[in-house]
Amino acid sequence: MPENITLTINGARLRATKGDSVLDVALRNGICIPHLCHVKTFTPIGVCRICIVELIKNGKSRVTTSCTLAAEEGMVIKAHSEKIIHARRNIAEMLVAEAPNSKAIQDLAVRCGVKNVRYPFRNKDCVLCGRCVRACTELWQSKSLGFVGRGANRSVRLPFDKRPEYCKRCYSCITMCPMTIAPCSGHMSPGKEAFCGKCETQLSMAGKIVDACVDCRLGESFDCARKPGL
Amino acid sequence: MQNKKEKIRDIRSGEDLRKAAARLKQENNKFKKTVILCAGTGCSASGCLEVGISLQKELKHANLDKEIKIRTTGCHGFCEQGPLMVIEPDNIFYCHVTPEDVRDIVENSLKSDKVIERLLYLDTITDTRIKNDEEIPFYSAQDRTLLGQNKNINPCDINDYIAQGGYKAFIKAFASMNPESIIEEIKKSGLRGRGGGGFPAAKKWEACRRAEGAPKYVICNADEGDPGAYMDRCVLEGNPHAVIEGMLIGAIAIGARHGFIYVRNEYPLAVKHSKIAVQQAEELGLLGENILGNGFSFDIKIARGGGAFVCGESTALMASLEGKVGEPRPKDIHTTESGFNDLPSNLNNVETWANVPLIINKGASWFANKGTEGSKGTKIFALTGQIKNTGLVEVPFGISLRKIIYDIGGGSATSRKIKAVQTGGPSGGCLPESLFDLSVDFETLPQAGSMVGSGGMVVMDESSCMVDVAKYFLDFLIDESCGKCVPCRVGLSRMREIIDNITKGRGSEEELKLLEDTADTISLASLCALGKTAPNPVLSTLKYFRSEYEAHIHEKRCPAGVCRSLIRYSIDKKLCTGCGLCLKVCPHNAISGAKKQPHAIVEEKCAKCGICKDRCPFHVISVS
Repeated sequence: MPENITLTINGARLRATKGDSVLDVALRNGICIPHLCHVKTFTPIGVCRICIVELIKNGKSRVTTSCTLAAEEGMVIKAHSEKIIHARRNIAEMLVAEAPNSKAIQDLAVRCGVKNVRYPFRNKDCVLCGRCVRACTELWQSKSLGFVGRGANRSVRLPFDKRPEYCKRCYSCITMCPMTIAPCSGHMSPGKEAFCGKCETQLSMAGKIVDACVDCRLGESFDCARKPGL
Repeated sequence: MQNKKEKIRDIRSGEDLRKAAARLKQENNKFKKTVILCAGTGCSASGCLEVGISLQKELKHANLDKEIKIRTTGCHGFCEQGPLMVIEPDNIFYCHVTPEDVRDIVENSLKSDKVIERLLYLDTITDTRIKNDEEIPFYSAQDRTLLGQNKNINPCDINDYIAQGGYKAFIKAFASMNPESIIEEIKKSGLRGRGGGGFPAAKKWEACRRAEGAPKYVICNADEGDPGAYMDRCVLEGNPHAVIEGMLIGAIAIGARHGFIYVRNEYPLAVKHSKIAVQQAEELGLLGENILGNGFSFDIKIARGGGAFVCGESTALMASLEGKVGEPRPKDIHTTESGFNDLPSNLNNVETWANVPLIINKGASWFANKGTEGSKGTKIFALTGQIKNTGLVEVPFGISLRKIIYDIGGGSATSRKIKAVQTGGPSGGCLPESLFDLSVDFETLPQAGSMVGSGGMVVMDESSCMVDVAKYFLDFLIDESCGKCVPCRVGLSRMREIIDNITKGRGSEEELKLLEDTADTISLASLCALGKTAPNPVLSTLKYFRSEYEAHIHEKRCPAGVCRSLIRYSIDKKLCTGCGLCLKVCPHNAISGAKKQPHAIVEEKCAKCGICKDRCPFHVISVS
C-alpha cells in the first residue's frame, strides 16, 4: 500500500508517494531540476551530479543528488539555492568543456546558466553518464555494455571489445546516448570547439535561472523527463 | 600434576579463561629472561628476521634456549631505530641491532646482566645513551594504551593475548552485559570512528542494532591507503586478537551473525596474522557456532582487497566485498540499514575495534578521561617526513601538533626549518608552522582546513614546495578516483591542469580563482567522501601558502627550488675546482668545461635533475 507523504521543495508543499525520488516529484510538479544521467525507469546512480539539491535536516544542510534521494515525510529541499545554482553551473561547465559536441550537453549548460567556458575544451565522445549501460542491463537484461577501468581510464566498452552474441542490436544504447545529436551549429572539429549558447533566449528570463518548468525544449535532445509522453 | 605442554582447550566460561591466563603466566615466569624482537613491517625491512635466526642459533649454541624465551612481536612504533630488541625483565632497549651484534648480546646481556652501551638509544640533544624505552623522549611523551600491548604479544599466538588478559572484555560483555548496556558504555566513553570521519561509534552501533533485516554484519575496515600512514596495518599485524575481540563485542551489541575483516592484499603480514588469529580463536571456541555454549554464533572471514584507495570508503568497500567493482554509491540510505548484500552492516576501522575491549575492560570513564570534550581517548599517528624520529606515535586527543612534531618527533631531521605538516592523508590539509599550537582533535583540525583522518602526519621542511605538494596529492587522488561522478573525475583533472600550468610558470590570477572555484564545487557536489575531501590539500595550501602560489604566477619563481621549469642550476665559477665529477655524473651531458678549469652548465641541455648538486664535493652548485 503506497504511503502518501508531504514534502517541501523550494518552499512549495507537495504531495508524493513515499519512496519516489525527489527529482521525479519535482519534475511532476513543474519544478525544473536539470539532470543528465537520470532516466525515469532506470536505477538512479547519481553520477552526473547536475540534479544536486540541498536537503535541510535539523537545521543542517546536506548536498545530495535528487535522483537518488527518496522522498520522506516532512522533508525540506532547496533545489535552487544560490549555492546549488553555482555548483550546478560549474559542473555543467565541466561537462560542456569535456564534450562540446553534443546538443544535449550544450542545452544542459545553457539551462544551468553557463555563460562562458573557462576550461580548455577536450572534445571527448563520452561523458560516462551510464545511460547506455543501464539501458542495456536493465531494459534488456543483456549486459553487453559495461564500465571498464578506473578514474581517468574509465570508459564504456563491450566485453573484451567484441560485440557479444547476446547483443541483439536493439540500439537502445544509441537512443539513450546524450552524445548522438550534434549541436545546432553543427559538428565542431578539434580546436574549433565553442560554447554555442544560442538557445538562451528560450529561457526568456535573461540573467536569471528559472526554477519552474517553462517548456524550454532544451531537454528534447536527451529526453528530459518532463517531456510529454515520458 | 598437569602436563606442561598441555594446550588450553575450549573456553566455555570466564572461569576457564581466568585459569588459562593464570597458567600461561606461570609458564612464562619459568623463563629467566625474555627477548622481545620487533618483527613489524618496519623492522622486518631493516633486517630483524636475520637477527632472529642468528639469535636462535646463538641461544642453542650457548645452551640457553630452555631458559630464555624469544618473542617476536608486532610493531613497537619506533621504526626509525629498527631492528628493535627489548630484554625483559630489565627492560633493556637495543636499537639498530644487526646479526653481528647477537653474539655480544647473548654473552653480555643474556648470560649476565651487562648492558651493551653502543646498542642503546642515543639521545642527540643530551648526547647520552638511554637504557630503558620508557625514558626515551619519543616514548615518554606518548600514551601507548593500544600500541603498548604489541610488545607483550606474539601476534601468531593466542596464548600470549590470553596471558595479557585478552578476551576478558568479551567474557565480561557476554556474561554480565546486555546489548543496550554495551552500547551505553561505548556511548559514555565517547569513542569516535578512527577511520577519518570521526562518527560516534555508539550511534552507528545503535542504528545498526535498530535496523531491520537479518543476518547483520560487522566489518572491520583495514583498507588503509593514505600515503605515509600505516597504523592500522601495525595494529592488525601486531595485535589481531584485539580487533577480533572488539568485533565480537560489537557483534553482541549489534546482534550480528557474520563478520569480515577487509584487509588490503598489499599487507601480506596483516593478512597472514589475522588469518592465524581467526583460526586460533575458532579452535578455542571463541568464534564459530554456539560460542561459550550459549547459543551465540559469530564468525569472521578475512577478505582481501585489491588495494584501491577508494575501497576504504564504506559503500565501495561493501561493493567490493560483494564481488562487484569497488565504487561508492550514494549514501542516502546508510550502510547501517542497507550495506553488505543490502543488509544492515556496521563498518568500523581497525583502531576503533581495537579500542573496544579496552573500554569494556577499564570502563567508559577511564577512556573518557583522556582527550578533549568532543574527542576522547588516544589516537595513533604515523609520523613521517623530514623529521628526526619517524614511526608510530600514540597520543591522547588534545595534544598540540608542536608537541607531536618537536617533543616526540624530535624536530627537523636536517638544519632546515620545519615549514608545514600535512595531516589526514590526501583528504587532509597542510598546516603551517604558525598553527602548530592547535590541538589535535576532530573539531579543531577541520576548522583549520585539515582533518585527523586516519592519522597520517607528513612533516615538511623548507625544501618542500607547497604547490608541488598539492600537485603530488592531486596526482594520487586522480589515480585513485573511481571515475564514477563528474566533479571528482573531471574536476580533479582540471585542477591538475591548472596546478601544472602554475608550476610551469604559465599560471595567471584568473586561473587561481578558477582553481578555487573548481575545488569548492568538487567538495560540495562529489558523490563520496573521497571526492568531497579531495580538494583539501589544494585549498589548505592556498589558504596558508598563497604567497608561494603567487610567487609561481607573478614572479615565475619557485621559492623552495623544486618546480623544475622555474629553477636554474648554476656553478659558482670562483669556487669550482674543476674536479670534473659533475661533468661525469650528468646524465644529459649538460655540463661543459676543461679539467682543472671552472665548469659551466649548458642551460638548453639541463633537465634540472639535481644530480650534479648532490654530487658536488665542494657544494658550489646552487639553485635559483
